[in-house]
Amino acid sequence: MPVVDVDPEELRELTGHDEKDDEELKTDLFGLGLEFEGRTEEGEFQLEFAPDRLDRLSVEGIARSLRYQYGDDRGVYVPNTNDAEWTIEVDEDVPDERPYVTGAVIRGVDLDEEALESLIQLQEKLHATMGRKRAKGAIGIHDLAMLKGAPARKGEGNSIRYTGIEPDGDRFVPLDSNSEMTPADVLTDHPTGETYADLVGEYERYPAIYDDIGLFSFPPVINGKRTEVSTDSRELLVEMTGTDQWTVDRMLSIVCYALDARGATVETVTVEYPDRELVRPDLSTREKSVSHDRIEGLIGVDFDPEEVVDLFERSGLDAETAEGGVGSQSSDRRSEPADSPVYEVDVPSYRVDVLHPLDLVDDVGRAYGFNDLEPSYPDVSTVGGRHDRSQLEDAVRDLLVGLGFEDLLNFHMISETENFERMRIGPDDDAVGAADPATIREPYSEDYTMLRTWALPSLLMVLENNTHRSYPQDLAEIGLAAHVDDSENTGVAERRTVAGVLARHDASYEDAKARLQAVARNFDVDLETPPTDHPTFVDGRTAAVVIDGESVGVIGEVHPSVLVEHDLELPVAGFEFRMDALE
Amino acid sequence: MKLPASQVAVLETASANEAQTVEQLAEATDLPPETVTGAVFELADAELVSVEEATEESVSLTDEGATYVDGGLPEIRLYEAALDAGADEAAVEMGRVIGQSGLEGAAVDIALSNYARKGYGSIENGEITADPDADPDSDPEAAALSALSADESVDEDGVLDQLERRDLVDRSESTVRSVTLTGDGVTAMMEGVETAETVDRITPELLTSGEWEDVEFAEYNVEADAAEINGGKEHILRQTANRVKDTLVGMGFEEMEGPHADAEFWINDCLFMPQDHPARTHWDQFALENPSEIAELPEDLVERVRDAHLNGVGEDGEGYHSPWTEEVAKGIDLRGHTTSLSMRYLSGYAQGDLEPPERFFSVEKVYRNDTLDPTHLLEFFQIEGWVMADDLSVRDLMGTFTEFYEQFGITDLEFKPHYNPYTEPSFELFGTHPTTGELVEVGNSGMFREEVLRPLGVDCDVMAWGLSLERLLMLMYGFEDIRDVHGTLADLELLRNTEVIH
Repeated sequence: MPVVDVDPEELRELTGHDEKDDEELKTDLFGLGLEFEGRTEEGEFQLEFAPDRLDRLSVEGIARSLRYQYGDDRGVYVPNTNDAEWTIEVDEDVPDERPYVTGAVIRGVDLDEEALESLIQLQEKLHATMGRKRAKGAIGIHDLAMLKGAPARKGEGNSIRYTGIEPDGDRFVPLDSNSEMTPADVLTDHPTGETYADLVGEYERYPAIYDDIGLFSFPPVINGKRTEVSTDSRELLVEMTGTDQWTVDRMLSIVCYALDARGATVETVTVEYPDRELVRPDLSTREKSVSHDRIEGLIGVDFDPEEVVDLFERSGLDAETAEGGVGSQSSDRRSEPADSPVYEVDVPSYRVDVLHPLDLVDDVGRAYGFNDLEPSYPDVSTVGGRHDRSQLEDAVRDLLVGLGFEDLLNFHMISETENFERMRIGPDDDAVGAADPATIREPYSEDYTMLRTWALPSLLMVLENNTHRSYPQDLAEIGLAAHVDDSENTGVAERRTVAGVLARHDASYEDAKARLQAVARNFDVDLETPPTDHPTFVDGRTAAVVIDGESVGVIGEVHPSVLVEHDLELPVAGFEFRMDALE
Repeated sequence: MKLPASQVAVLETASANEAQTVEQLAEATDLPPETVTGAVFELADAELVSVEEATEESVSLTDEGATYVDGGLPEIRLYEAALDAGADEAAVEMGRVIGQSGLEGAAVDIALSNYARKGYGSIENGEITADPDADPDSDPEAAALSALSADESVDEDGVLDQLERRDLVDRSESTVRSVTLTGDGVTAMMEGVETAETVDRITPELLTSGEWEDVEFAEYNVEADAAEINGGKEHILRQTANRVKDTLVGMGFEEMEGPHADAEFWINDCLFMPQDHPARTHWDQFALENPSEIAELPEDLVERVRDAHLNGVGEDGEGYHSPWTEEVAKGIDLRGHTTSLSMRYLSGYAQGDLEPPERFFSVEKVYRNDTLDPTHLLEFFQIEGWVMADDLSVRDLMGTFTEFYEQFGITDLEFKPHYNPYTEPSFELFGTHPTTGELVEVGNSGMFREEVLRPLGVDCDVMAWGLSLERLLMLMYGFEDIRDVHGTLADLELLRNTEVIH
């Protein structure tokens, strides 16, 4: 979950609520779903929140939400924009992998230390979330005064150019450096370049932005030093490149709203693709419809339409009842009545979380106060029941516990060493437990590299870890075992396996057999134990478990070499068989 | 009156006039002293005898003490050798005296350390002198040793203390019980006391012969601890899981079942998790190397899910602006949540199309690539449940969960608005801890989004919630480290001794 550092002093200033002390602010922020996690060394609040309202990644956005909560602001606010003087021309040479760009010019910004810090934080947090670590969208902010526009191809004004160049095609001085480098040099010799090298490393041509002087930005990796923003900067160029136009446009909206809240003026930019022209930022609202009935039904409260409109406005949205006021065009639900009034709701461009009209119902609920709702038990009747498999599992478990076994619960993930080698078998052997294992890709831990093919290895591990505890140790587990099987839809055959061990100074084959017989008798199945060989067990004291004519497991005295391998100093007899044999 | 043989013997031997010790009675009755003691206690309880207790000290020689009775104390032997060497007149070189005394090994140190203390002379600079006036024959320690060896008593405490420090005597205190017949005892004897037969085990013979009617059963020490046994017990996490299952079945929920290794399609895509969602990297989930891909996905469902991701659902719906490929959807993972089961059931893929109302649940294992710590395991159990009905409100969700958590003592549920990609509205559930009273997070819930439901073919409301079973267990039992319970590091002692909660 994102964490944003916010200076409470700035919050008071931006909301215009000097009278709020820190504790009151914390309570108000909690109401927005922003949890106080602690303070930074400078005393800023560290606020954690769920990653839906990305417009709250800055102090300006949080202040805007608080003003709605306080009732200081109502309805949608859209900043004024001035007409474009600058054009971003998109070249044919732009890398295919990163074809999209957007931008805005910001004038009259007053960047003190706090405002600059907030802007940098917003940029970083947007990179981390919507930008998917810059892969999907990356932001570059430049001091406009340091740019020299080339004459625009069309009409008047200045232009910059988004293009693609050879990795060694040009040189510039990147941020945090004093030497000229090619983009390829940046990826190998600059710390920021190394961090983001994977994003463009495979590209044939690297993304590059030029003004009339030359290369000044190497998105999504690093900006040039020439246009670096400082507290002296008064006019900015914001550019964003990415793999999706919508994503970079929305990131741009959030940044423009934040700068507008600082008193800056937003000026549009013309984005000129070879085949089309866009005017950005696009701060226009979009409209979504939701029916009155759906709002009442979902929240479980009867509302007057005026009340609903009020709740929308308190959420920073505009709503009006649609002409005619009937219909349910946004819904294909089976129970929707046809005569419910419909609200047409204007949603500002920074609300990237709104994908569906139902997201607006959530806003109404939050504004109303979900915690004020009275819980009610749903008035629908259903019949409950257990799954057959889980009932059988419980019955077998009860029986084993009655026979004196301690019921265990082990991990399904295990290592090849534990599952095979320490049990003296290999995946290709013809033996119970030997099977093609379902393996984990790039496992972190060598202890968990596959799903276990049988459960006896887990029980031996528990014995190994409990040699300091009193004996007898009679342990059983009914749990999952799995192996690769092409005939299954998922490619993995999963089954429940029943395993038991008896560790005691006089444990013998007969002790294990007696218990297995008791299980077979209680489930009314026919048990035979013809002799067999199995590397885990002692020859001549090992048998196949044959239930109703089918070989489903193994029983025997565990081989001394397996015992010694597990640091055990007393005999162990054990068995394992498929649970479904008892069905 | 019928009494066990030992009690009869004691009664017959005891006198009303003269107190006799247990030892004396044992000798007279030819019974072991412990048997007599037991009989005396029984008779005292019946007020047939009275018992007086006194503490008596006994002193006995240790093996070392006994050797000095005959051989003489080492310091006296040293003194005698010193006199022989003329050390009463002039200091003599010590080695010579020791050689003459015949002392060896530890006895030399013992002699030297006691020599000066008892005034036999002095030892300085490796030379020894002897005090001509010292008198070994009146050495109190030697005298006491001789007396003890002759079974005579020694009353000088100081000397005994000294001998005890030198490990030459053992002193112990014992309780001496003196037994006298009481008035009741005399009366009983006059009326006649018979011997009853006592038996240890109840045998088949005893029962079938009818002999049991005439025998006395030897009494056991019923207060003593017996040997420990452990028996078997259902694992506490299973017990908790079963309690949850019982509760949910009672609330009308039906149990789901399905694969642990499943396609990302069922685990993530059906849940409207964008394919570039940060939680879908292998840093968070376990992807399988072998097998790496599901054989087949239902084609029409794949198309609907793809469409929901790319274009949204409904006229005003929007998609994610994230790439979506079937290749990613087909990848096999160990499920990170059992919501994959909910998707299989809601789609009709698991057991045919469902008609509202329905309630389903599962308490099954999930796998997350997390850092192992006292509260996080790579595998844990998730309680998953959902309700499908024509019209459900947030209040129904609140009512259902309030009811469920109350069954486990978790009350005053609070619903904190939250965000999940697959539910809207969404709530984190907080409840009051049953013992500490703290507000703790107990689950995550919400109404499934239309982008989840419509592609599955569900055209009514579904509310769902999830919770870790281990978290519930830790709340109920107060465990601090989940690793002691779940997995091969489990401590058998903990499992054996955990209190049963019902």
